[in-house]
Amino acid sequence: MNIVVNGTAHAIESGPLTPLLDVLREELEITGPKAGCHQGGCGACTVLVDGEPRRSCLLPVAYADGAEITTVEGLGTPESLAPIQQAFVHHYAAQCGFCTSGMLLAAQAYLDGGGTDDPEAIQEALGGHVCRCTGYAKIVDAVAAAARGESFDLTQTAVGKYTTVTTGGAT
Amino acid sequence: MKVVGARIPRYDGVAHVTGRTTYVDDVRVPGMLWAKALRSPHHHAAITKLDTRPAAELPGVHAVITWEDVPLLEYGHLSALGIPADEPLLAKDDVRYKGQPIALVAAESEELAAEAVERIEIEFEERPALLDVRQAFDPEAPKIHQWGNWYPHFEGGMDRRQIRKGDVAKAFEQADVIVQGVYRPAAIEHAPLETQVCLVVPEPNGRLTIYSCTQALYFSLGVVAAHLQVPLNKLKIVGGTTGGGFGGKVDTATETMTSLLAMKAGRPVKWRWTREEEFLCSSTRAPWHMEIADAVTKDGWILGRKMLTLHDSGAYARFSPYGLTKHSFHHTGAYTIPNLEFDGYVVFTNRVPTTAMRGFGVTSVSFAVETHMSRIADVLDLDPYEIRLRNANRIGDTSPNGIVYTDPSTVPTIQAIAEATGHELSAEFRTMTNEPRTGEWLPEHLVAQLGNPEEH
Repeated sequence: MNIVVNGTAHAIESGPLTPLLDVLREELEITGPKAGCHQGGCGACTVLVDGEPRRSCLLPVAYADGAEITTVEGLGTPESLAPIQQAFVHHYAAQCGFCTSGMLLAAQAYLDGGGTDDPEAIQEALGGHVCRCTGYAKIVDAVAAAARGESFDLTQTAVGKYTTVTTGGAT
Repeated sequence: MKVVGARIPRYDGVAHVTGRTTYVDDVRVPGMLWAKALRSPHHHAAITKLDTRPAAELPGVHAVITWEDVPLLEYGHLSALGIPADEPLLAKDDVRYKGQPIALVAAESEELAAEAVERIEIEFEERPALLDVRQAFDPEAPKIHQWGNWYPHFEGGMDRRQIRKGDVAKAFEQADVIVQGVYRPAAIEHAPLETQVCLVVPEPNGRLTIYSCTQALYFSLGVVAAHLQVPLNKLKIVGGTTGGGFGGKVDTATETMTSLLAMKAGRPVKWRWTREEEFLCSSTRAPWHMEIADAVTKDGWILGRKMLTLHDSGAYARFSPYGLTKHSFHHTGAYTIPNLEFDGYVVFTNRVPTTAMRGFGVTSVSFAVETHMSRIADVLDLDPYEIRLRNANRIGDTSPNGIVYTDPSTVPTIQAIAEATGHELSAEFRTMTNEPRTGEWLPEHLVAQLGNPEEH
């Protein structure tokens, strides 16, 4: 079996019924997708399979044979964040961060499908994703902002402005 | 102020949205083994047979541990404060809750470790289980804990957290109405998306590197060192990245057992709990049983309160005495009641040990107190906002444990809520401040009891 993950082709050695999540995390060591429940209940393992959001913990890798997979690592890099990633940073939509990669990919699929900033539609799109830190309002705000095509001045929230370590004593 | 009201960066924000944050389960090292636990299938039982040899003989199994492998078997979460320990790291003679760990296996894969656990030969003699604090608090109930059914080690050897203030008997004599209520919030599972997980790497210099999802890194350091009987400088804990905790990762759940496996195998070992283990075996917020009786005047002054709290500690004490102490300090909520009689017990049951969760010990009593305030308003047909303002903490009032309030916020808070909800307050309550009480703001009964209010 072969899958393409974030543009890179991989020959897969795991058995055909191995969950795609385990192939990504254990065989390929791509750890952005998270194992929150291993039973399709939390959404933390969500990746895009040929553009569609899928629970990778429930999907046998055989069903993804030949597919193009996008994980959070494929959305953007710290130096070049995708718009949805920028929106999450700007709106503080990640708290502990464990649900974030699944949330981001479900949101990306929603935006790719022409999703608007309607909060109810966003909630529907992210409906199966659990954030136990309960930061839902900020997540919906971030997706709505990205749907409106807003751009953000992340220098306001970039590390450094208020967190510079000085040795000249506290101010 | 540089920070209040400012947009400040999250130091981990960009890492979170790019998948670069390294959680414990994302750490991989060469030669890593996987751990699985044999857990009690019973709420309460004696262990009559335990033979781990069939597990150890399975090819690919590198270590099996039981209580015999633990240098210091019992070390309590409050041992550092001089409180005796009650919980064995691994069950020895008996099990006191369903899911209690008895033995662990480290093997080449999680599947193999699980198969080895299945091979362990174990037999139990089941005992009666107590799953509710009221059952356990019954003097006739079977004893399920070596200390009896409630914690006996409060200061001075007391078996309860006790508060006495003023003259409760007199308050109840003077009351127009006694308003009673029983409040029983249930257990809550923290349910962090990241289950309990730990990776321990034995280093060539004899130290252990422990990758931990703990919320209490230095606390875990002390607990692991105590059980292992090694100095702190033999342990390096790598922490600070927690995929949700909410209090459930304060107790040291995995680090010590995984360290023992890694030492015995001489290999790195990772132990990650399944979602089922997280739900069934991890600690929870405690269930509580609270009984309140208030001596109240017909115009809404609360003259006195009697309260009994039973805090369900689960099978072992852990931090529960600390949680109950906080609870007792807050048992009048944001209000001042001059005469108090509080008795709180940390009661043992055969449930999973309970622990911290957001507002440890206080959320339960806040729920009870606020519900009770509204109940008093209902009984007396008074405005629920105004009864709160009448009894609100004011400058110079004292908390149940004798702290003098210098800037209490009850009055402005209730007024702000009334404004936000469009609730019309009468003029005297709308203009009320939290300045020290004067005669006008003391019920006649209390003026008589306390003397000149200016000296109160």
